[in-house]
Amino acid sequence: MAMEMDSAPNEVGVELTDTENELYDRQIRLWGLESQKRLRTAKVLISGLNGLGAEITKNIILSGVNLVKLHDDKLVTEEDFCSQFLSAREKIGTNRAEASLDRARALNPMVEISADTQPLKDMGAEYFGQFDVIVVSGENNAELLRIDSICRELGVKFFATDVWGMFGFYFASLQTHRYVENIIKHKIISKPNEKQKTEIISTPVQFEVEYPAYSTWLDFDINAPSYQRKIKRNGPGIVLLRILQEFRDVNKRDPSFKTREADINKLKKIRDGIASKSTITDDAIGMLFAQVSPAAAVVGGVVSQEIIKVVTKMEAPHRNLFIFDPETCVGYVEPIGVN
Amino acid sequence: MAAAIDGVLPEHLQELVKNSKVLVVGAGGIGCEVLKNLVLSGFVNIEIIDLDTIDLSNLNRQFLFHREHVGKSKAKVARESALSFNPDAKITAYHDSVTSTDYGVNFFKKFDVVLSALDNRAARNHVNRMCLNADVPLIESGTSGYNGQVELIKRGLTQCYECTPKAKQRTFPGCTIRNTPSEPIHCIVWAKHLFNQLFGESVEDEDISPDAADPEAQEGDAEGTEIPAGDGAGDGKEKSASESANGNVVRINTRQWAKDCNYDASKLFNKFFFEDINYLLRMSNLWKSRKAPVPVQWDTLLPKGIPDGDSLPEFARQFHKVWSVEECAQIFSNSLRQLSNDFLKLDNNDSLVWDKDDQAAMDFVAACANVRSHIFNIERKSRFEIKSMAGNIIPAIATTNAITAGISVLRAFSVLEGKFDQCKAVYARLRLNPRNQFLVPDKFFPEPNPNCYVCASDPAITLRIDTKRVHIKEFRDEVLIKTLNMVNPDVTLESTGSIIISSEEGETECNEQKLLSDMNIVDGVILKSDDFFQNYELSIIISHFDAERDDPLFEVIADKSQLQPKEEEEEKPEPSEKLVSRKRAANGNGESVEKCDDGPSTSKRSRPTEIEDDDDDDCLILEDPEDDVVEATDKLTVESPPKTATKRKPSDVVESDEITTILDSSDEEESRPTKCKRSRLEKSEGTGSIEIINID
Repeated sequence: MAMEMDSAPNEVGVELTDTENELYDRQIRLWGLESQKRLRTAKVLISGLNGLGAEITKNIILSGVNLVKLHDDKLVTEEDFCSQFLSAREKIGTNRAEASLDRARALNPMVEISADTQPLKDMGAEYFGQFDVIVVSGENNAELLRIDSICRELGVKFFATDVWGMFGFYFASLQTHRYVENIIKHKIISKPNEKQKTEIISTPVQFEVEYPAYSTWLDFDINAPSYQRKIKRNGPGIVLLRILQEFRDVNKRDPSFKTREADINKLKKIRDGIASKSTITDDAIGMLFAQVSPAAAVVGGVVSQEIIKVVTKMEAPHRNLFIFDPETCVGYVEPIGVN
Repeated sequence: MAAAIDGVLPEHLQELVKNSKVLVVGAGGIGCEVLKNLVLSGFVNIEIIDLDTIDLSNLNRQFLFHREHVGKSKAKVARESALSFNPDAKITAYHDSVTSTDYGVNFFKKFDVVLSALDNRAARNHVNRMCLNADVPLIESGTSGYNGQVELIKRGLTQCYECTPKAKQRTFPGCTIRNTPSEPIHCIVWAKHLFNQLFGESVEDEDISPDAADPEAQEGDAEGTEIPAGDGAGDGKEKSASESANGNVVRINTRQWAKDCNYDASKLFNKFFFEDINYLLRMSNLWKSRKAPVPVQWDTLLPKGIPDGDSLPEFARQFHKVWSVEECAQIFSNSLRQLSNDFLKLDNNDSLVWDKDDQAAMDFVAACANVRSHIFNIERKSRFEIKSMAGNIIPAIATTNAITAGISVLRAFSVLEGKFDQCKAVYARLRLNPRNQFLVPDKFFPEPNPNCYVCASDPAITLRIDTKRVHIKEFRDEVLIKTLNMVNPDVTLESTGSIIISSEEGETECNEQKLLSDMNIVDGVILKSDDFFQNYELSIIISHFDAERDDPLFEVIADKSQLQPKEEEEEKPEPSEKLVSRKRAANGNGESVEKCDDGPSTSKRSRPTEIEDDDDDDCLILEDPEDDVVEATDKLTVESPPKTATKRKPSDVVESDEITTILDSSDEEESRPTKCKRSRLEKSEGTGSIEIINID
């Protein structure tokens, strides 16, 4: 659904301070003053302070949101040194969210940042309702389903995301989302008898789009014959995601570098159950351990940009499953449960 | 530190990461991210170079820097922060310009891969040449707003950075700036020139007075005879101004005159915005087809004078508001007072440097530009918008930088593994392409341009130039150094071998003030230019033309076919490219570019004004991914050319029979707005998915 707007979207009342104007200058020049004001009111929960969580935390804090809550019940391990730059080395063995606080705060003193450490499964609507956007990584499908359904009832925007080695994804469950997109048209400004001259006209147009629930991804049949052509075109990332989520659900953990060979065999077994060897190569399976920094940066950058789109209500958030293939560096979007 | 932990990376990659030596050029938005990714991945031997210091407006994305680091060396602070992520890394930081002669080919040869994260074309061109020379793979990256780009440059395999002509900088003829502005940018350029005339480095080219030599004003103009011809016009004007100021008939320049009248706001204002405009009005030919300007006078604008008090009025801090002309006049007065105070404190011959982040300097330009816009019936702009244009600021965000740097380091992994065929260029975009991708790899390597004036065998260019108006010194500075990015060129006449320009100081100084034609450099002559430091030889074929009013005095044409007459093309919005370039830093001087934050600047009459760079970020040339071009990747089998320690011989550069030609299947080329564009850009335009990048 789209409609042209008579005027700019409703202005957010508060003016930015001189310091904010200066600090955020280069991004205000991209997304405008109104977007920056919207960011300043946003409250974001980031659950799962792994390398990917650290990347998202960094980008979101830098963008100048109002509040960031870091949540994790896990402890800092050696594995985190591959990409979790927010916790110092000496914090090994302490809670990951708390260990990230100092460096997170240093990124932008204007953002309110705190940490929670209780298990996510103990949290309900009261907790999630405090936020505008929630992004969760490192959870199993059952927990992601539970949080998503609470978020959908509350109208909180929900992202599930993860990185395994160099491979990553996100799923966006944004319910009904309204946003403005500038539609660019070329308008002819020359007179009919002159050589054609055009001017670029940018018109803000409001859209309203439905984003289905996380359950649509779990119900999605990757082996449906109608879907095989797509896999051939965009690569087998979606199959790999299935394999990894199944590994996590079955083993209650992710593949570990400590048991590399055994876990590679487990992954292969799952692969052979749902796909052919040619779809997911053994090489690809060898690249799924810990979270490798550059891949976490790519996926974290993408997820953060989506959160910024959601908060500023500018530009269409990608609908709705994002896959990053590290070998080709292609990043594409698969519409799941969307007509 | 992925590589420090067994089992995280595949074994062969782990060893490569641990043992490779990496150079990061640039510690800005992408550079910070790249450095973080490198140390966390477990690279141990890393060197990073950047000549910049940290600014507050960097902190929204250059996350290795915090408020307490403002003013410090980017490279050094980046090193400290990255070491806190991985204390086992060995990072060498250079607070220096990469174009300095300290970093020659042997320096580049130390590295297994170079990751460049630069913000200007001059340095990119230089690093490109050094890596080609040293035969080190280069991963080139850049971002602008939501758009990012990563590409591998490897000698003999891929295009080099200079294989495709980059979009030209927007240029403005001197007459437009001085006599007939029609867009806000013309007035902004003029205002910056005014700043330089009064306080800046005295630049002859940046005249702000009416230009009576404007050919359009003279043709068949009955009043033409009243206007003194040539450069005397501006001086005549200034003479009369100085008469009215102090009754003196001595010919003095604008700067001295302004000083002599104690920077009286009303006098200066009336000269620039009333008397000079009246003078322009007398050049009646100019206004036959244009709307004539309307001069404004200080006393009618501010009959009560400037309100008392030193404090700035409230609107002066309202950067998003479009000031009224009256408000502009007040800002003019305030900023003039501040700037003249600063200026008078300087030693003799010292000058101020215009800086968009200096409150008074920016206020002055915004106010003057808007008053002039008002006079010429051009839309006025907010200070915020004027700052974008005057400083040529490229918007920059953390997310695009993070994505781009991540891809850059993933590509570095593949390069170290020798999987060059996997390293096709990748583009990050805001919106999806028809294949539902927004991180979009190219499908193949565009073949090196056989006419590239850098990496082709026997590189040559044709130079269209007005040999009767360009002096040897300008030829050296503007063409060879600024346009062709040489550092310290030698030039000889091909036919006789006689030396025109020598890189040895003092050897050819006597030639500097001679015109090219005086040195027998006329149509058809071939010059041999050689930059020893860059190990770069270039033949320059001179093609003389007589420059018209709005023509630039020279144009570099890399491809001879471009010399064919073309149908005249309308001005169109730039395609999916945005270019930025920046003045080259003085060798070894880390601060020099910091101070030379150059926005628009003009040059001699009828030499167009160029919009120079931004100071800031990782800006790049954006090209759209070529989506629908025939896939030919599998046929690309290239062996590394033999390494040579000395100059690149033509045969080393392209082993042409080892490269399968990739056919360009796109035949839907449209006419180009820019004159010299070739295969790659044309192909990408055929895809129809061009995003217009609006920088301001």
